[in-house]
Amino acid sequence: MPSKDKGHSSITSSDQELVLSSLEPEQLAGLKKHPVPRRHLRGLEKFVVWSLRIYLLFMMAVVIYEVWTSLH
Amino acid sequence: MGVGPLSRVTPPAVTQEDVVITHEDVDRAHDRVRVSAARAQRGVFSRFRLLWLLFGPGILVMLGENDGPSMLSYAATGARFGSGFFIPFVVLTFCMAIVVQEMTMRLGSATHRGHAELIFDRFGPFWGWFSMIDLGIGNFLTLITEFIAIRAGLGFFGVPPWAAVVTALMFLCLAVITHRYWTWERTLLAIAVFNLVFVPVALLTHPNWYSVGRALITWKPLPGGLSQDTLIIVLADIGATVTPWMLFFQQSATVDKGLTRKDIHLGRIDTVVGAALAATAAVATIVATAPLFSHHMTAENFQAAEFAQALQPLIGRFGAALFALGIVEAGMVASVTISISSAYAFGEVARTPHSLNLPMAEGRAFYSVLFLCATIAGAIVLIPGLPLVYVVLLVNVVAVLAMPPALVFLFMLANDREVVGDLVSPRWANILATSVVVFLTLAGVLFGISVIAPNIFAFLGGK
Repeated sequence: MPSKDKGHSSITSSDQELVLSSLEPEQLAGLKKHPVPRRHLRGLEKFVVWSLRIYLLFMMAVVIYEVWTSLH
Repeated sequence: MGVGPLSRVTPPAVTQEDVVITHEDVDRAHDRVRVSAARAQRGVFSRFRLLWLLFGPGILVMLGENDGPSMLSYAATGARFGSGFFIPFVVLTFCMAIVVQEMTMRLGSATHRGHAELIFDRFGPFWGWFSMIDLGIGNFLTLITEFIAIRAGLGFFGVPPWAAVVTALMFLCLAVITHRYWTWERTLLAIAVFNLVFVPVALLTHPNWYSVGRALITWKPLPGGLSQDTLIIVLADIGATVTPWMLFFQQSATVDKGLTRKDIHLGRIDTVVGAALAATAAVATIVATAPLFSHHMTAENFQAAEFAQALQPLIGRFGAALFALGIVEAGMVASVTISISSAYAFGEVARTPHSLNLPMAEGRAFYSVLFLCATIAGAIVLIPGLPLVYVVLLVNVVAVLAMPPALVFLFMLANDREVVGDLVSPRWANILATSVVVFLTLAGVLFGISVIAPNIFAFLGGK
C-alpha cells in the first residue's frame, strides 16, 4: 500500500494512481524535502555578490538619511 | 513520469511505496490531467483552451505589481511631467520586467522549486538569509502601502479607515478560502483585469493622442530636465515595475500551478501578455493624470485620494469614482499576491507545506504567515499620525535598490546547468539581464549622489 499519514487518509488509491501518472517525480510534495546540491561561489561571483550587498547596505543608509532630513 | 535535471537528488523511479501523496498533489494532478487532455487535441479551440489553462502566474504578477504605490507613481508622473518622456520609459521598464520574470517562470517550470528554496539549497543559508531579509522587509513595507492605497481609494467614497482595512482583510480571507490554487488564480485574475479601469478613465480626459504618439517615438518632452525630483520619479517608476517579490511570487506560483518544461513556451506568452496589460494600465494612468500637469500634484496628495478628487472637474464624478476604485483594486490584488509571496518563501525556507492547494489543517503555518503579515500591515496603517507619504515613497525606492542583489542570484540560477539542464539562459538573454542589473544599479547610484550632493544636477546643467 502507498504511504499515508493521518491527514491524508481521505486520499483514495485512484487518487494516488492519478498523481503518479500525471505529475513529474520532482512535483510531488513529499519528495521536495530532498535539498538541491550545494555549490560554492567562485571568485568573480563572490566579488559581484559581496559588492552588491555592500551597495545595498550603503544605499539603505542613504535612504534613511533622506527620510530623516525630509522629516526634519 | 518525466524526469528533470534535478532528478539526481530524487529517486529515479518513484513507486507508490516510496512517497506520501498529499491533497496538494491530488489537486495539482487534476489540473495537469486537463492540461494534458487539451494538449492531446488538435484545433484552434484546443490551443485556446490550453492557453486558458496555463495562463495565470505571468498575468497575475504583472497586474499585481500595478499596485497601490505603483499607480500612485504613475499618477504622480502624469501630473508632474504630463505626456512625454515617461510614457516610453514606463514601456521600457515593463520590457525589463519581461526579461526578469521569464527567468523565474523558466526556473520554476524546470525545477519545480521555489526561488527562496533554490537560493537556500544552492548557495547556502548565509546568502539565503540575506535574500530572505531583503524580501521580508520589502514585502512588509509594500504590504503597508497596499493598505494605504485601499484606505485612500475607499476614503473617496466616505469609508472610514478601519472599515477599509477590515474589508481588505476579509477580501484576503475570501481569496484563499477555497484552498484550491486554480479557483484562487481564476478569481484573482478576474479581479486583476479590473486594473484596466484606468483606460476608460484616460479616455474620459480626451487625451491628445498626437502628443502621446510623439512621446512614444521621441521620448520627449521632459519638463524641468534632470533634477532630484525627476530622479525620484524615475526610481519610483522602475520600482513600480520590477521588484524582488515578483521574482519569488512568479516562481512559486509556477510551481504551485504545476507548470513543466513542456509549458515554458506558453508561460512566456503568459508573461508577455501580463506585461502588455499592465503597461497599458500604467500608460493610461499617466495619460489620465496628464491634465493635472499644471496642478503640481505630488505623492503627498495621495493620502486623501486627492488624485481622484482633482480629476473630478475634468472627468466627472463617475470617472473619479472609477479612478478611486482602480486604486482600491490595485491595493486589494497586490495585498493578496504579496502576502502569498511571503508565505511561499517562509514555507520554502522552513520546509513546511506551502501551497494554495493545502487544506487549512495541512497548511497552518502557510496560512498563518499569510494572514499575520496582512493583519499587522493593516493595523500599522491605522496608527494616527504615521507619515504614510514617506512609507509610500520609500517602498518603491527600496524595491529598486534591492533588485540588483536579487537579480544576481536569479541570473546565476538561470545559468546553472546542474539546476535547469539545457534550459540555461541564451547569450542574448544574459546580455539583456546584465543590462537590467547595470541599469538598476546606476539608477540607485544616481539617486544616492543626488541625496548626498543635491546640487550636483544644477552643476551638471540640470535643475
